[in-house]
Amino acid sequence: MRPLGRPGLALILPLIAIFVFAVLLAFALNRMVRVADDIRVNAEHNMLWVMHQSEIAARRLVETTLRAELGEADAAEIALRLDLLRSRFALLHEGPQRRFMEEIGMREQLSTLNQTLQSIAPPSAPISPSTAQDLREALAPFTRFFSRAANKTMIREWDDLGGRLETARAQLRQIIASLFGITVTGAVLILTLFFALRLSRQRTNMLRRERDFSALLVSSSGDGILAIDAAGRCTIWNDAMATMTGQPAERAVGRKLSDITGFFGTAHVQTALKASLAGKDRSIALQPYYRDAEEPALYVDLRFSPMLDEGRVVGAIVFMHDASDRYAARQRAAQTRGHLEQLVAERTRELDEALLRERSAADLYRNFAGMISHQFRTPLAVADSALQRLIRRGGRASTAEIVDRARGARDAIAGLTRLVASTMDATRLQTGQVGARRVACDLSNLLEGVRARQQAMAPEARIETDHPANLNAVALCDPAHAEQVLENLMSNAVKYAPKGSAITVHLHGNATELHCDVTNDGPKIAEADRAQLFDANFRGQNSVGTRGTGVGLFIARSLARMQGGDLQLRDTDRGTSFRFTLPRYEGEK
Amino acid sequence: MRYAAISISTCIALAGAALAAEEPVILKVTGLIDDAPAHFTMADLRALPTTTLETSTVVTDGVHNFTGVLLRDLLAQLDATGDVITATALNDYVVDIPRADVEQYDVIVGYSMNGAELDRADKGPLWIVYPRDGHEALQDIRYDYRWVWQLSELEIR
Repeated sequence: MRPLGRPGLALILPLIAIFVFAVLLAFALNRMVRVADDIRVNAEHNMLWVMHQSEIAARRLVETTLRAELGEADAAEIALRLDLLRSRFALLHEGPQRRFMEEIGMREQLSTLNQTLQSIAPPSAPISPSTAQDLREALAPFTRFFSRAANKTMIREWDDLGGRLETARAQLRQIIASLFGITVTGAVLILTLFFALRLSRQRTNMLRRERDFSALLVSSSGDGILAIDAAGRCTIWNDAMATMTGQPAERAVGRKLSDITGFFGTAHVQTALKASLAGKDRSIALQPYYRDAEEPALYVDLRFSPMLDEGRVVGAIVFMHDASDRYAARQRAAQTRGHLEQLVAERTRELDEALLRERSAADLYRNFAGMISHQFRTPLAVADSALQRLIRRGGRASTAEIVDRARGARDAIAGLTRLVASTMDATRLQTGQVGARRVACDLSNLLEGVRARQQAMAPEARIETDHPANLNAVALCDPAHAEQVLENLMSNAVKYAPKGSAITVHLHGNATELHCDVTNDGPKIAEADRAQLFDANFRGQNSVGTRGTGVGLFIARSLARMQGGDLQLRDTDRGTSFRFTLPRYEGEK
Repeated sequence: MRYAAISISTCIALAGAALAAEEPVILKVTGLIDDAPAHFTMADLRALPTTTLETSTVVTDGVHNFTGVLLRDLLAQLDATGDVITATALNDYVVDIPRADVEQYDVIVGYSMNGAELDRADKGPLWIVYPRDGHEALQDIRYDYRWVWQLSELEIR
């Protein structure tokens, strides 16, 4: 890392260099302007020529006087030369020339000589030699004066020129020094610029490398990554994003997210996007994403984060993770749980049923005395009646009649024996001594036996049985219990049926169960009695005047349920109808 | 124009001959002109169109008002064809003036300054005056030496 002080120095050095550069440049320019002014030569510096011309004018006048003495020059020529000398004095008395004469200290003498010159009148023609001689003598100081003036002028001008050259040299030296300084500061500036450029290039390279690395990270990420600017337009859309959404980066970058795919336009996602552009982190789990209608949805986790630049939100970045596997696992777990619950419910029901059966059995035995009196009465009555007839007949009875009566009695006793055996079996069943005594049993045979016995007991009753021709009437049941239920139902039907009316027993079934509907034309069971009909010791309104214990239907239903079947009152238009249901026998298990 | 110039110069020549006693010739023009040499008296010059010029000089203080003849017009009138004008003064000062100067600038042959006639005992009678204040290029010693005073002759070459 660079030391902390360097950037400040790197900034201050060029600033100082620029300042020095500017100062030196201004100084050099100022000096150059001065030199330019100084090297201008003015006519004022031409005084030596003026003195020379003046001296010549004086000498030419003297020369003309000499020629006049010899008779070679006339008065007009002297007048011209005199005028020319006067013009030199006029010139010397004017502005710049007068000031210069003062500087060299010859102003006084000039004035004196001028007065002398003005007093000389041009001689009139013809000129005598004496006049010419007088004139020449008067002019004698003029040539000496101008000779000395020229001398002083030369010295004065050289001094002045030397001084001016010295000043110019000094200024040029200052300019040279300034230029050297300018060169040095310029070099410093160039070096600074060079290093700044190199540093800038290095930083650019570093930035490019970092950017390339970031781009590589983004593009090689398994998760979808997208970025948006503050206006909500997509700036980054990596390969995983393209794979997940089916939209390539070319179609995504530069567009609004909701225009790329409708998924980003949903209220849920939009809210999260707005929150992230407001500087808050958001995440949404297991959001369904439908690429098209045919394919199953992807389930994605979304994470929204704001992108900050010096505390200002410049956009947002969104990570999209395909969590379909997790969703599927969760779904499976839920299914398993549901299955378990169902299983438990089934088991519970089975247990409840078992408990109910247990209770039924318990109730059955609790009401054993009642049952004995009810169930045993009929066979006992049959046996008793047969035996009474034998006694009454005494010796009159033929052998065949004795055999017939005795057989009837025995049949009844055999039924009692079966009932006792069955009851014993039930007791054993309850106490767990034997397994279920359910066996395959053809209900139609069983039903025919019961019908024959009922018919024997009530010869006047019309009992009709029927069943579909091809009915498989094999049920899984305890034949003794089933027989008992059927006997109960049929005797009830006979008991409550009007005289001479038909009692129908209809045997039929469905896929899993066999139904035996026992119906008569007797009075309907009152609505109020229906709910209590199968309770122990309940006797309905219509049972008034008939024999009964009130446990028949209770025992019958209990027995039916013990075998996995049921007994119900049917809702029918005709008289009263009960349905006895038993499970079908479905082969050995 | 050419015809007029010839007739004027002829008149001048005739007048110069006739009035030699009263009016002295102050300017002689020689060289590449029609009917060289041409002589001018002060009256001849004053008869020509006058031009005035305000300027400072290098040998005096302040600004002066000069009156005279445009040297360009004078040369045109004489149908001068040369490129160089050699001016000579009464004190034998000689300088060459490029013809281009008079074409480019309004150079005059002045005969009066601030309303007073130029005197031979000063810078008269004729003084070549450049419009020094009107042109920065003329503020240079290489033009300053072309200001010929006490002008007496022009030779066109």
